[in-house]
Amino acid sequence: MGKKLFLLLNKAAVRRILIFIAFLVLLALAYTAYKAFGQALDDRQRDWWFIGSFFPRTDDRNMPPILDILSEFGKSPRIGGETYISQLFSGALFTLREAFVAFVVGSIVGLVLAVLLAQSKLAERGVMPWVIVSQTIPLIAITPLVVLWGQANLDFLPWEWKTWMSVSVIASYLTFFPVAVNGVRGLLSPSSEHLELMQSYGASRVSILWKIRFPASLPFLFTAFKLAATAAVVGAIVGEISTGVSGGQGLGKLIFEFARTYAAAPERLYLGVIGAGITGLFAFGLIVLVEKTILNSTGQQIRE
Amino acid sequence: MEVVSISNLSKIFNTGKDNEVEALREIDLTVTKGEFIALIGPSGCGKSTMLRLIGGLIPITSGELSVNGKTPTKAREERDYGMAFQSAGLLEWRTARKNIELPLELMGWSKAERIKRANEMLELVQLGEFARSRPAELSGGMQQRVAIGRALSFNPALLLMDEPFGALDEMTREHMQDQLLDICHKTESTVIFVTHSIPEAVFLSTRVVVMSPRPGQISSIVETNLRAGDNTADNTKIRNDERFYKKVTEVREALYGK
Amino acid sequence: MGNELTRFSTWLSTALKWLAPLIFGVLMVTVWEVLLLVINPENFLLPRPSEIFSELIDDLSKISDDRSKIWAATKTTGFIMITGLFWGIVWGVATALLVTLSRAANETLTPIAVAINAIPIIAVAPLFNNWLGLTSPRSNQMVVMMLVFFPIFITTARGLTQVDSQQIELMNSYAASKWKILRSVRIPNALPFFFTALKLVAPLSIIAAIVVEYFGGSQNSLGALITASASFADYSKAWSVVVAGSIMGMGLYFVALTAEKITLARDRSPRLLLIAWQKITGRTTGA
Repeated sequence: MGKKLFLLLNKAAVRRILIFIAFLVLLALAYTAYKAFGQALDDRQRDWWFIGSFFPRTDDRNMPPILDILSEFGKSPRIGGETYISQLFSGALFTLREAFVAFVVGSIVGLVLAVLLAQSKLAERGVMPWVIVSQTIPLIAITPLVVLWGQANLDFLPWEWKTWMSVSVIASYLTFFPVAVNGVRGLLSPSSEHLELMQSYGASRVSILWKIRFPASLPFLFTAFKLAATAAVVGAIVGEISTGVSGGQGLGKLIFEFARTYAAAPERLYLGVIGAGITGLFAFGLIVLVEKTILNSTGQQIRE
Repeated sequence: MEVVSISNLSKIFNTGKDNEVEALREIDLTVTKGEFIALIGPSGCGKSTMLRLIGGLIPITSGELSVNGKTPTKAREERDYGMAFQSAGLLEWRTARKNIELPLELMGWSKAERIKRANEMLELVQLGEFARSRPAELSGGMQQRVAIGRALSFNPALLLMDEPFGALDEMTREHMQDQLLDICHKTESTVIFVTHSIPEAVFLSTRVVVMSPRPGQISSIVETNLRAGDNTADNTKIRNDERFYKKVTEVREALYGK
Repeated sequence: MGNELTRFSTWLSTALKWLAPLIFGVLMVTVWEVLLLVINPENFLLPRPSEIFSELIDDLSKISDDRSKIWAATKTTGFIMITGLFWGIVWGVATALLVTLSRAANETLTPIAVAINAIPIIAVAPLFNNWLGLTSPRSNQMVVMMLVFFPIFITTARGLTQVDSQQIELMNSYAASKWKILRSVRIPNALPFFFTALKLVAPLSIIAAIVVEYFGGSQNSLGALITASASFADYSKAWSVVVAGSIMGMGLYFVALTAEKITLARDRSPRLLLIAWQKITGRTTGA
C-alpha cells in the first residue's frame, strides 16, 4: 500500500507540491516585506485616482505578523480550553462530513441526470439549459430556509434531521452540476465506430451503456469529481456561514465566529482561511489520488 | 450456397431534404459461401455504405437484401457476421484479451469459455504473449490483428471488413494479408472486404467488385481467383506472378472506365 | 408539395430546438405551482411561482418612484459582480498570455493556480473586509475577482499552450515571430477554452457576489436583502430576490454564450468579433 502510494506520487507530483510550498513561503515573505515597507508606498499613492487607498494598512490589527498568526494556532479561548488548532481540526472533520455527503448525493443525482439526458437529443436540448440555469440561482443564499424547512417537515424520516444535513443538501446543489455536464459529455464521447461495433453485435442499449459509454466517460467523470469535491467544500462552508444557527461546529461556523470577533484577535481570521484552504486542498487531493489509481488501472488518460 | 444476395438495391440519405444524397443505385450482387469479395472504387462511391447496409447498421431505401436468407437486421441480431473497421476500434480500457472477449460477453458465454476462446484467437493472430497488454501498448498492426481476432472470435460465417489495413505500412499490410487469408481458409469464412488498394483487392479476392461514384453503382466485376482453390499456394509467388499484374491492370482499367 | 413538407419538417425541428427548453420550463413551473396548491404546505421554503413573481413584479413596479428595494439591491450587487468579473477576466487572460512566453513560468504558475482554485476562496472574504473596509465594495469585488481569475487563467493558459506542435513547427518554418504565432495559432486555439471558462464563471460570479454579502459590504444588496427577508419570515420576498439574482446570472451566461457563438461561428479567428460588431452597429471601417 505504501509502495503504491509512493508510485502515485511521481516526480511531477512531488515537484508540484514543492512548487506550491515554495509559493506559500514566498507569499509569507512578500507579506512580511509589504508589512515592513508597504505603508510608505501606500501613503505615496493614496491620492492617485486609479488606485486610491487601495492597499491595506500595515498595522498589526490589519496585518498581524506571520509568527503571531502561527502562534495563534496553539492558543485557546480560555486557559486550559481547546486550542484553536484542535478546534479547526474538528471543524474541518465536521465540514468534510457535510461535504462528503454533498459530494455523494450530488454525484448520484448528476450521474442519473447525465444518463437520462444522454438517451435523447431532445431531452438534452430541453433540460440542459435548465441545468445551467439552476446554477445561476443562488440557492446557497437560502440555506437558513432549508434548515427550518428540514426541521419542520422531515420528521417522518427514520433518523432525526440535523442542521448539517440541510447544509449538505444545499452543497449538493453545487456538486451535481459538473457531474451532470461532464457526464453527458463523457457518455456521448464513444466514437461512432465503437457504437457501430456494438450494434453489429446486436447489443442492447443497456449493454452499450454499461460496456462502452460508462467506461469511456470515466476520465470525464473524474474531471467533474475534482470540480465537485471543491464545490462540496465551498458549499459546506458557505452553507454553515449562512445558516449561522447553533448545532454547527464546522469550519464555516468558525470562520464566521472569527470574523465576528476579529477586533479582539485579527490573527484568527487567518486561521480560518488557512484551515479552509487546507481542507479544500485535502478534498481535491483525495480525488486526484483516486483518479490516478483508477485511471492507471484502466489504462485511460487523465483529462485536465 | 448464397450468403449475401442483393438485388436492385438503392440507398438515399436524407430523403427529401436539402442535403439529399443518392449513395447507391440499383446494386445487384450475390456472394456465395467461401468467396472473398473485394469492393473497390474511388472515395465516396458508397463502398462503406454498402457494407453497413449488409451489416444492417443502416436501413436500405429500396430493393432487396438478404444475409443468410434473413433480413440484415435479423442477421445482425443473430450475430451472423463479424465486422472490422479501418481503425482497430479497440476499447482502450480493456486488455487485448478482454477486447476479444467483448462480443462473447454480449452473447452470454461463460467466463472460462471466453478466456479459452480469446486465447485461441490471440494465438491465431500471433499475439499470444500480449494478452494482458492494453491497446496503447500495441503497435497499429498489432491492434488491427486484435480487432480481427475479435471479429472472428464467435466464428461468424461472414466477415465484413472496411479497409482494415488502410492505416498500416506496406510491410505490415502484406503480412496481415497473408495472415487473413490463412485464417479465412482455416475457418472457411466468407469475406466482403472494402479497400482502396488495387493490388490488395486482386491479391486477396476471388472476385473484385469495381464501383463508380455518384451514385454508387457496380461498374464491373473482375474474376481474380489467383489461387484457384489451392489454399497452400505460395503468397510471394502469387505476388510476383504475371497473372497478378494482369489482373491488377484489368481492375485498374475497370476503375478508370476504359 | 413534398418539398414544402420537408421544409416544414426542417422548420419544425429548428423550432423544437428552441421550444424544447421553453416547454420543459413551463411544464416545470406548472408542476411546481399545482403541486404546492394541492399539498398546500405552510409558506415554508418554497412559495408558489405565482407568489414569487407577483412579489417581484410588485417590487419592481416601484422603480419609477425609486422605492424598489430589489432594483436598488440588484444595482449594488450587479456592479460588484460585473466589475469583479471584468477584472478577473482581464487579469486571468493577461496572466495566461504572460505564461505563454516561457515554459518554466507556465509549469510553475499553473500548478499553483490549480491548487489555489481548490481552496474555498469565499473563506478569504473576512480577510479582505479587514484589509479594505467592512462596508467598502472593494473587498467584495476582490473576492469575485479572485473567484473568476483562477478558472479563466487556468483554462485559457491551457488553450494557449496545448497547441498542435505541427502547427507551431509550420509557423516556425515560415520564420514567423512569436507574436504572429500567438495571434494565428495560440489565440484561435485558446478561444474555445476561454469561452468554456467564461460560461463557468458567469453564474459563479453572481453566487459569489451574493454570498460575500453575508460578511459585509453594503446593506443595500441582494445578499443583505435575502437575509433580512428570511429573518422576517417573508419567504416569497426572499425568493423573489433569489429570482432577481438568477435573472442577472442568466443574462450574463447568455451574453457569454452569444459572444462564444459569434466568435466561433465560422472560423476561430478573433477578427470575426470585429465583423460581428460592425454588423450589429451597422458601421464599417472602409474597404
